[in-house]
Amino acid sequence: MRILVVEDEPTLAAQLAEGLSSAGYAVDVADNGVDAHFMGDTEPVDAVVLDLGLPRMDGITVLKKWRAAGRTMPVLILTARDTWHEKVAGIDAGADDYLTKPFHMEELLARLRALIRRASGHASAELSCGPLTLDTRASRATVDGQALTLTSHEYRVLAYLMHHQGEAVSRTDLVEHIYAQDFDRDSNTVEVFIARLRKKLPPGMIETVRGLGYRLVTPQ
Amino acid sequence: MTSATLRGSLRLRLLLTTLVWIVASIVIAGWGLGSLFRSHVETQFNAELGTHLDQLTAHLVLDGQGRPTLSVPLSDPRFNRPFGGLYWQIDRIAGPGMPPMEGALRSRSLWDQVLTVPVDMPKNGEVHQHRIAGPDGTTLGAVERTVRIDDVSLRLIAAADESLMIEPVSRFKGALWLALGVLGLGLALAALLQVVFGLAPLRQLRNALGQVRSGDTRRLEGEFPAELMPLVEEFNSVLTQNAEVVERARTQAGNLAHALKTPLSVLANAAHGKDDKLAQLVAGQVEVARKQVDYHLARAQAAASVRVPGARTPVRVAVDGLVRTMQRIYAGRNLELVFHPVAPDLMFRGEEQDLQEMLGNLLDNACKWAVSRVEIYARIDGDRLDILIEDDGPGIEPDQREAMIRRGVRADEQVPGTGLGLAIVDDLARLYGGQVTLAESPLGGLAAKLTLPASV
Repeated sequence: MRILVVEDEPTLAAQLAEGLSSAGYAVDVADNGVDAHFMGDTEPVDAVVLDLGLPRMDGITVLKKWRAAGRTMPVLILTARDTWHEKVAGIDAGADDYLTKPFHMEELLARLRALIRRASGHASAELSCGPLTLDTRASRATVDGQALTLTSHEYRVLAYLMHHQGEAVSRTDLVEHIYAQDFDRDSNTVEVFIARLRKKLPPGMIETVRGLGYRLVTPQ
Repeated sequence: MTSATLRGSLRLRLLLTTLVWIVASIVIAGWGLGSLFRSHVETQFNAELGTHLDQLTAHLVLDGQGRPTLSVPLSDPRFNRPFGGLYWQIDRIAGPGMPPMEGALRSRSLWDQVLTVPVDMPKNGEVHQHRIAGPDGTTLGAVERTVRIDDVSLRLIAAADESLMIEPVSRFKGALWLALGVLGLGLALAALLQVVFGLAPLRQLRNALGQVRSGDTRRLEGEFPAELMPLVEEFNSVLTQNAEVVERARTQAGNLAHALKTPLSVLANAAHGKDDKLAQLVAGQVEVARKQVDYHLARAQAAASVRVPGARTPVRVAVDGLVRTMQRIYAGRNLELVFHPVAPDLMFRGEEQDLQEMLGNLLDNACKWAVSRVEIYARIDGDRLDILIEDDGPGIEPDQREAMIRRGVRADEQVPGTGLGLAIVDDLARLYGGQVTLAESPLGGLAAKLTLPASV
């Protein structure tokens, strides 16, 4: 899952990136409205944490442009502007949630998880597929109650597949959603992660769809 | 009428001064015209008597015995009608071998009466005027002259009933006062109309001010006379300036919030997850600072906004926006938010941002605690707007409710955001002359009732 963090205060941006990375997300950071708009418009991000007071283009404008262009990724506004007037304006501009500074990192993570889950149509914080269960709150996967040991990239690949169960997910999709923009991407690594996951999961859960990519299914 | 009442009403002041002048002018004019006419009639009366006296003198002859007689009777027929009001008489004052005799010769109109004039012996040819008693208790105006024919000295008197003079004067005066009265009424009516029409722009100004107060308009609107325009323009510019100051204050408060809260976030995040004493201290102090900033910013914004007259906000729009927001923020909770407005055009007399702030905090609180349902009712009661927000959550114990509202800023709050919101709502409501009260909801949870001024 790939998150775009838009925050112009460098220390806070770094803290957010660190907090989100350690929760298992790939994180892109933009420190101004114009860059943020471009990244949100062109990169397949799964969710956005958006500050409102930004240099070059304010957050509300960025959000409205995304929505006008048909970009539907969940957006969580994270701002110091906490009047209800501003909250209503933010929600009406197309935000999905609103969190005011100062905030607790746990709360931000919980809200983000909920947004991503709802965006992919899941009601619970725990996603399951046959014997496999993914606890998005704890960033933990279990098979029949036994915890799996996963690297962060393996977790990201599995989480993305879990959020899109039954769908064919292309290798490019996976690359785009597990790596941040500035990461040196190599689509071959995806095959490595898939191969490692197949060893850790019950047989037959990750199918290869020829020419399309991979699909997570309940084992027969 | 006290002088305060007089000072208090421009209309009364104008009307009273004009009326006093009208009455004074009419009285003076009536009295002046009356005396002028009277003196004119008096002159006429005396002139007429003088003519009769001249005629009497001209026709006077003495007969053989030296008795006065008239060669031709006097022409006025009233001299022949008994007590007809016009009289003449000739007295013999002295003559050779003849005693003085009053009424030696008289007009027929005197019948058996004799006129007596004060004896003052005018010189030969001189005419004297007297007021004397006449027949039937009447008062006569009389002129007399002494003539001497041969050796006989005669006093010639022509007299007329004064009522002949007084009656036309009093008739004239009656007509005069009637006419002046009508004139006075006309002038008073004109003054009234002038005051009403002349002061109409002031009434219009008052209505325009009323509209600003009730929130129908934000400026004084309408055409005003040139004399009032400077006042209207000045007032409008003050209103605009006021609104700008408030807007600036809001923006500055927002900027301050931003400037303070981002570093607070950085501090809180840096301290988070570490166990040492410094980290705990930082975390605790950040929380205290956050509350102080929240509370005082909310107050500063509110205090600025209630000074803007002319603001009115449709309740429906504010509630709809907040309901959309709550549904989004609490999307995971599947809450049902229902707004039951009684009238579609309910208006709050105040700033939209303040209404949103009050309702936002109450709704947020309700959504936080609700199990599945939040209901919002609104109604107008006279000039009050009542908004009721109910939830089906656990509610608050009756003895705790007052404390929840009065809490304000306290460092020992357990759940961030609770209580403080209610205190801000109460502060804001009080600034608008309203209040917030808590009770138990039929849904089982808390019922928060917000009372505010309505715009009707």
